[in-house]
Amino acid sequence: MKKAILSLSTVFMISTGIAGCQSNQTETTSKQQSSASSESSTKTSSSIKKDAIRMQKETKALQTAIESKDNSAIKKTAETVNNDWLSFENNVRDSFPLLYTEIEKYEQPIFMEAFNDKPDIEKLAQDAEKLQKALAQLEKAKESKSKTSAVLNEAVKNYQSYVNVQMDELVKETTTFTEAVKAQNIDQAKESYKKARVYYERIEPIAESFGDLDPKIDARIADVESEAKWTGFHRIEKALWKDNSAAGQEKVANQLLADVKELQTKTKSLTLKPEAMVAGAQELLNEAAISKITGEEEAYSRIDLIDLAANEEGSKAVYQAVLPALVENNKKLADQLDAQFNKIEATLVTLKKDGEYLPYNEMSKDQIRQLSDELSQLSNLMKDTAQIL
Amino acid sequence: MTEEKKNGYTRREMLKVSAVAGAGIAIGASGLGTVLSIGKTLSPAKETAATSKADDTIPFYAKHQAGIITPQQEFIYLGSFNLTTSSKDQVIALLKDWTKLSDVLTRGAIRSSTDNKLLPPNDTGEAIDLSPAKLTVTFGFGSSFFKVNGVDRFGISDKQPAFLKDIPHMPHDNLDKKASGGDICIQVCADNEQVAFHALRQFIKASTGTASVHWIQKGFIASEGGKTPRNLFGFKDGTANAAPTNEAFHKSYIWTKENEPSWMNDGTYMCYRKIRMFLEVWDRTSLQDQEDTFGRKKDTGAPYGRKKESDSVNMQKQPVNSHVRLAKQAAQPILRRGYSYVDGMDEATGNVDAGLIFISFQKNPEKQILPMLKVLGNQDALNEYISHIGSAMFACPKGVSQGSYIGKDIFEA
Repeated sequence: MKKAILSLSTVFMISTGIAGCQSNQTETTSKQQSSASSESSTKTSSSIKKDAIRMQKETKALQTAIESKDNSAIKKTAETVNNDWLSFENNVRDSFPLLYTEIEKYEQPIFMEAFNDKPDIEKLAQDAEKLQKALAQLEKAKESKSKTSAVLNEAVKNYQSYVNVQMDELVKETTTFTEAVKAQNIDQAKESYKKARVYYERIEPIAESFGDLDPKIDARIADVESEAKWTGFHRIEKALWKDNSAAGQEKVANQLLADVKELQTKTKSLTLKPEAMVAGAQELLNEAAISKITGEEEAYSRIDLIDLAANEEGSKAVYQAVLPALVENNKKLADQLDAQFNKIEATLVTLKKDGEYLPYNEMSKDQIRQLSDELSQLSNLMKDTAQIL
Repeated sequence: MTEEKKNGYTRREMLKVSAVAGAGIAIGASGLGTVLSIGKTLSPAKETAATSKADDTIPFYAKHQAGIITPQQEFIYLGSFNLTTSSKDQVIALLKDWTKLSDVLTRGAIRSSTDNKLLPPNDTGEAIDLSPAKLTVTFGFGSSFFKVNGVDRFGISDKQPAFLKDIPHMPHDNLDKKASGGDICIQVCADNEQVAFHALRQFIKASTGTASVHWIQKGFIASEGGKTPRNLFGFKDGTANAAPTNEAFHKSYIWTKENEPSWMNDGTYMCYRKIRMFLEVWDRTSLQDQEDTFGRKKDTGAPYGRKKESDSVNMQKQPVNSHVRLAKQAAQPILRRGYSYVDGMDEATGNVDAGLIFISFQKNPEKQILPMLKVLGNQDALNEYISHIGSAMFACPKGVSQGSYIGKDIFEA
């Protein structure tokens, strides 16, 4: 847990209009509203069909101009395509947000490229071909929207069951952990601390959506006003590793278990939205990239890598849940993400010794940098998964 | 505003502009041109200002890269990148993207975003409402772009230019590998530091997954009324190197021509040295010693035994190992484009971590700059007060024409 993250994600939620995981509250994204309004109007989609057919013809003319490398004709036809698109793009955005993004992705570069003095013919040809494909999809787009939302709803359901499993394990491991702490069994406590952390770090954004539960469970010493008010995992972490004693930690241990159980209860009644789920995947990677890679999370136990790997696993769980929707909408992104998850997992394997992740202070600067770069790359791809929403 | 300038404003921006401009501008085929010509400020009030300040814009597409013979701007950001990919196609895609980005940024435009608010914006935003401030972007390729440990990384080693090698070890070198070299260097200069940083930031953002930042160095320089700027030792720096602005000089000493692969024709070599200057030590040195070290008067910049800065150096009057004497002995025409830097504080000593970013452009580094570095490294009286801590040599390709991309001929010629 990190204050910066909290405030960052708060800003993110406000700016995007997502109410985080607090799905009981009203959903305010414009997309949500627009998709709701579109479902009722079948009239719109039949007119979009006509628009799509017309724009395909215009794009065909553009392709002819591209083929004959006639720059002035390219300019003229690209402008026609653009003006036409301007005339009905709002309807498309409302009814078929995914296809809208797809068409935009190629239409805009074509328009820009066409007005270069020496346009990149090859790129124009490629983009125009892709634009045609997107338009052809638009022409037949009737079920596409509902299909996607069905796929997304399925994704949320799958992810939610993942979350519940993690939550059950978290309660189980935290119980073992807190019992060991109360029994002053330091070795046992240290071992179960490592296990419990994994389940928390996999689903941390969920906890962050419940206001003060995350700070209570996961605050670090720098996050609290005074040490007297400090509770949670890291308070006990300090006792175990720095003081090598669990004396006087009973109260903190009891509170921690109570808080974790409260989290479990709240999570069970949570109805996640796809937006929050996808944003959560990104937040996990942000967490890893800000507080884990810098070794700030586990200042005493030095198990930052365990947390980092758990963040990665939690993020991957979202990726796997949305994979069907992703494959449907952006196969290339799905492939890239798959490759990047494999890459970072291969790197993480090299950071293990005797089956355990290296303590943070035993990693070399180069190892940290490599991991940081690979996290950035993963995060950079993950941000684009919002395209499916 | 020129015709090309239109292209940076995407329809998305136009719509934004029109929202700002209100009912005054009609969107549609006929209104298109009007909307397009409004500047990045997205404010109609600024329209005239933006169009009349043509001297704030230095075009990216040109025969030679800008940022070389361009009069020096006040701020520099250098970014050195190492490629993390082994795919030639990915490198080409990055260079294409960087090229387009350079064009957009130098025109003071911004990259548009989609309407999906769940995605991050394409432009980071801090240059909105700012003029391009003479922004220039200059690309250079290091020897490691072509070969690392003898391995031809992308099958282009036959395109490595004649003089592209790491600068050999020089006497007194104290180089930090982490502040030296790199596969690709991007030099960003502008009269506004925020504009310069914004540009580098977009390049970094666009490189994720293909390249990673190796080092970043920023610097500043100031002079008024056409006077030679002073370095952080308070001396006028580069008097002898004040390169003439005439084309003949550039042709003779800066722009590469024959005996180079085609992509380097009309290009040049960039020599980079990061030179730490021990300010505290210097500031406790007597004026006499300071002037003896340089061989010039501190106030006027005049060489010893002369009256004015521009007077020729009288070697008889120069102290034995003065900077001016040695530089004059080894003198070869180069184009200097250096900056001062301050990197904060040296934690070990508590001293200010500052110095000089030495940058020179020349067509033949082996003849024009390496001998000078050697002589100065061996004997320069300044060595007592400075230390060379970073080093790099980059081959800067010829300029880019519209529709092409930087370094295209490396891959496609």
